[in-house]
Amino acid sequence: MRFFIENLSKKYDDKQVLRDITFTFDSGKIYGLLGRNGAGKTTLFNCINGDISSDSGKFTLLTDTGSRELMSEDIGYVLSTPTVPEFLTGREFLKFFTEIHADKIQDLKPLDVYFDYMGIDRIDRDKLLKDYSHGMKNKMQMLINFIAQPNILLLDEPLTSLDVVVAEEMKQLLRSLKGNKITILSTHIMDLALDLCDEIVLLNHGVLEPVYKSDLDNNEFKDKIIAALREDNNA
Amino acid sequence: MLKTLLISFKLKNAYRVNSILYACRQIPLIGKLFPPDVYSMTGFKVFAYIISILWQFFTMFAFKIAYFFFAVTVWCGVFEINRADSPRFFLHLLVPLTIAGAFVNNYMFTPEKHKYYAMIQLGMDAKSFTLVNYFFNLARHFIGFTVVAIFIGLDNGMALWECLMISVFGIAAKTAVCPIEMIRFKKGKKLATKAKLNVLTMLLGIAFIMGLYILPVFGYMIPLTVSYAVMAAVIAAAVIALPYILKFKEYRALNKEILNAEFVSQMDSKAVKQQNFRKNTQKNISADADITSDKSGFEYLNELFVKRHKKILWGSSVKITVVLAVVLTLLCIISVLTPKEAEELNDYIGKSLPYFVFIMYAINRGMQFTQALFVNCDHSLLTYPFYKQPKSILNLFRIRLREIIKVNLLPAAVGGIGISALLFFSGGTDNPVTYGVIFVSMCALSVFFSVHYLTIYYLLQPYNAGTEIKNGTYRIITTVTYLVCYWMIYVEVPALLFGALTIVFCVLYIAVACLLVYKFAPKTFRIHS
Repeated sequence: MRFFIENLSKKYDDKQVLRDITFTFDSGKIYGLLGRNGAGKTTLFNCINGDISSDSGKFTLLTDTGSRELMSEDIGYVLSTPTVPEFLTGREFLKFFTEIHADKIQDLKPLDVYFDYMGIDRIDRDKLLKDYSHGMKNKMQMLINFIAQPNILLLDEPLTSLDVVVAEEMKQLLRSLKGNKITILSTHIMDLALDLCDEIVLLNHGVLEPVYKSDLDNNEFKDKIIAALREDNNA
Repeated sequence: MLKTLLISFKLKNAYRVNSILYACRQIPLIGKLFPPDVYSMTGFKVFAYIISILWQFFTMFAFKIAYFFFAVTVWCGVFEINRADSPRFFLHLLVPLTIAGAFVNNYMFTPEKHKYYAMIQLGMDAKSFTLVNYFFNLARHFIGFTVVAIFIGLDNGMALWECLMISVFGIAAKTAVCPIEMIRFKKGKKLATKAKLNVLTMLLGIAFIMGLYILPVFGYMIPLTVSYAVMAAVIAAAVIALPYILKFKEYRALNKEILNAEFVSQMDSKAVKQQNFRKNTQKNISADADITSDKSGFEYLNELFVKRHKKILWGSSVKITVVLAVVLTLLCIISVLTPKEAEELNDYIGKSLPYFVFIMYAINRGMQFTQALFVNCDHSLLTYPFYKQPKSILNLFRIRLREIIKVNLLPAAVGGIGISALLFFSGGTDNPVTYGVIFVSMCALSVFFSVHYLTIYYLLQPYNAGTEIKNGTYRIITTVTYLVCYWMIYVEVPALLFGALTIVFCVLYIAVACLLVYKFAPKTFRIHS
């Protein structure tokens, strides 16, 4: 499966945030999206997710059955600040979600199996989501995406505010999930990008460009990325 | 000193100018005239600077005029105070109010943004900054107060010297209070401007103000000589207080207390408002563990939402219904017992049915329903792709519409029955169809408002990701809705005609609104950045 972005542009007032982006993502890989503050990473995600309309451009998905326009059900989006319906309990949210997706979920398991998989304690499963901690809300968001198995998973700074144990669990989960999907993860943490991602893509001056590791070691690769960001910024 | 004053001016102007330009950019349509880099454009900055100066000049007098008018002048008319007694009445009110005001509204102790920027963020010398600004503020207060006092005082029979004395007394009271508060601060006590009002203090305050205003009704006023003596004593106290203020060494500590963490957390008023809005809406989620649902899918989601928000949806609806039922029953009883009043009431209902449009508007829970929907449900679920699919949006719209109609229909039905009953008991009508038309039109109005709020919510989705209302069109529509409903109070149309027209209008509106939602909501019902 391949995901094509073609001629994507987005402007806020006079600021051109995304500049005629054309890029191809391949399935089975985790892409680390790096960029300086305000580079437009969240704008790019919001455009892909259809939350904001782009000025131009199109998104296409090439699957085994052929090429087609990207649809909302192809996407899973995990925000840095987790958003869950706070008036539901964890179990109710999961029940609602599985019922809505009943025709799409293959091999539906009892809800507790999913909670066990995600490491959410029994005592917390019937609590209102408004009383969940940040990390637990994040786990719920990930769990939903784990069950939905979207073709493209967008992760906006997903591990930044999690404690080390939860962050490590999430990393393992993302590695196990990457299978035949495209995962794009935006982050400011270079080590996380190098540790988890198969490809590094820079977003600078509104353009996406890959940075290849070649035969560099991690430190040399880091220097190369920083130099690329600096160069671009001074250009 | 002059340098401190100049820096202080520049600082205040910088943020006032930027605030004005920011506010201009937020105005629908007009905002587009202000480019994003407006903060660096001289022409626009000069424009904002002129507005700022004019505003400062305006406020120097406007607030004083409002104070004099609402605190004193208007009561002269209400209590029919004759011209000879005016000076005594003026001073009876102004002297105690000024002394109380010196404690609770004193520039020296009030937290203000420019103080925080200058002394805490920019590290300016606290003593010179405070004193320079304090005296500047007193001078500004004195000029404004003197002009207004002379203008209003002379018009009400006061002598020029009395007007001037009131002005001097005003700034003297603020000065005399300073050492008292400074000593209290040194002793670690709470400043009057920072004191949290408890029920007792509030009751005492209300009793004090009410007492002050009620006494003249019975002919009691503070004698002029006592007022003069108090004013003279306060002016003398201010002269004694002045050296203490100039010698006081702890301005930095004092300002740190005034500009404490609580104030800093409130400085971003927009964020605070938003936080409180979210907190209040989230508070409405019931934590009752027994709430469950046997339904599935979107019906399951909806049922849990309604059950967990029962307090703000059904709770309010039931309360409103009970109040309506009680009021209308009482009016029916009055109609039966007093035929003369009944006749007037019958006549009123016969031609003033539009009045009930405003009542239906006021009791409708549509706005609260959509607010809770967004903050506690859609705000999060709209980030999930399955929720944004046209089928899901329209399915949920239909379920929600049914729910909000049910919530609003209860008081409307009771109101409709009550008004029809009132018409009957107050003398009836020649055409019995009117009873039915009144009932149906009240129910139609209720359905109309339910559809109206849910439709504009789905078509405009006025909230951004931070749960602020950001949509100008939404604001305009809600304001126009209010104004039209308010205007209805003054419309007089025969009940039968109005009822029939209302039913036709509501049916047409509901049909058009639902069509619009089905056509556009899948595109418009989105979370906005």
